[in-house]
Amino acid sequence: MSLNKNMRVMIVDDYNTMLRILRNLLRQLDFNNVEEATDGEEALAILKRNPADLIISDWNMTPMTGLDLLRHVRADAQLRRTPFIMVTAESKTENVIAAKQAGVSNYIVKPFNAETLRAKIGSVFGGQ
Amino acid sequence: MNAAIIVPDGGTQRAGQTLRIDDAHIYLDRLIRELHALGSEKKQPLVSVLEYVSFHIRMTREEIATLKPGGASAFSSTADELEEIVNETARAANEIMGAAECVEAVAMGTDPKTREALQAAATRIYEASAFQDITGQRITKVVRALQHIESRVDALTRACGDAIAASNGGTAPSRDEALLNGPQLARNAATQSEIDSLFDVVDPTS
Repeated sequence: MSLNKNMRVMIVDDYNTMLRILRNLLRQLDFNNVEEATDGEEALAILKRNPADLIISDWNMTPMTGLDLLRHVRADAQLRRTPFIMVTAESKTENVIAAKQAGVSNYIVKPFNAETLRAKIGSVFGGQ
Repeated sequence: MNAAIIVPDGGTQRAGQTLRIDDAHIYLDRLIRELHALGSEKKQPLVSVLEYVSFHIRMTREEIATLKPGGASAFSSTADELEEIVNETARAANEIMGAAECVEAVAMGTDPKTREALQAAATRIYEASAFQDITGQRITKVVRALQHIESRVDALTRACGDAIAASNGGTAPSRDEALLNGPQLARNAATQSEIDSLFDVVDPTS
């Protein structure tokens, strides 16, 4: 079964540069249904109105971090099963542990390349 | 519970309350004068110690006074400059990515081999543009550290009292040095047309 490239992807980052990078790389991977938010709070508000099929989020943002967004998503009955990939420069062991404990689906360390992004998306959808 | 002690002017000083260095100096000088007035030969070693402490308080106060040679705005100005680096690199990264997007659009009209090569190049540009995010986060950490240092230096200068205010100007820059302020922060920068207008009206002989 091939990956549904029409899935709705929510990308969250407080740096517009990174949002543009993600959007471009996703477009190159044929994901064109992409929504943006600049912090967890904004993303959560959008997700509650219109759930996504995949969330790709930075960690270090204000007022709501990516980790808090992840916790809110996992605590929400409607959103809890949404695959969530953390894309962050926070690369300490304790970060990865905390993200895993909060229920992250996969973890990408910045800077990253297109192949890593493709591989992680494939991985969270069962190696498709 | 904070213990209170009686200070020489009859007031009280609570433990943990900031004691201004000027005040400490006043109390110390008064103590030395009173010891001198006692007239005992045994007092001399104690007076010597207190004079030594007094001298070092003066020296410390003068050293702290030089901590902020650029005045109160020196730290915040540096933080502004660093934040401007973040903004400038963001602008540059967006320009670069805009150009890469154009290349990709043009690539769609080329033969498959050329298209593939151009798209691969665009991908590398997108990947490399992540430098802005990484450097931005690092600079933001430096800015926070600077703000922390600034708050500590402010606390020290407040403790030193008015002597700091008098000496805070530091050495005035020379006339030429005072002209070296570039690059300007975006919000303060003149546009080229503003510069052109100014250039036209400035009289070089005045």
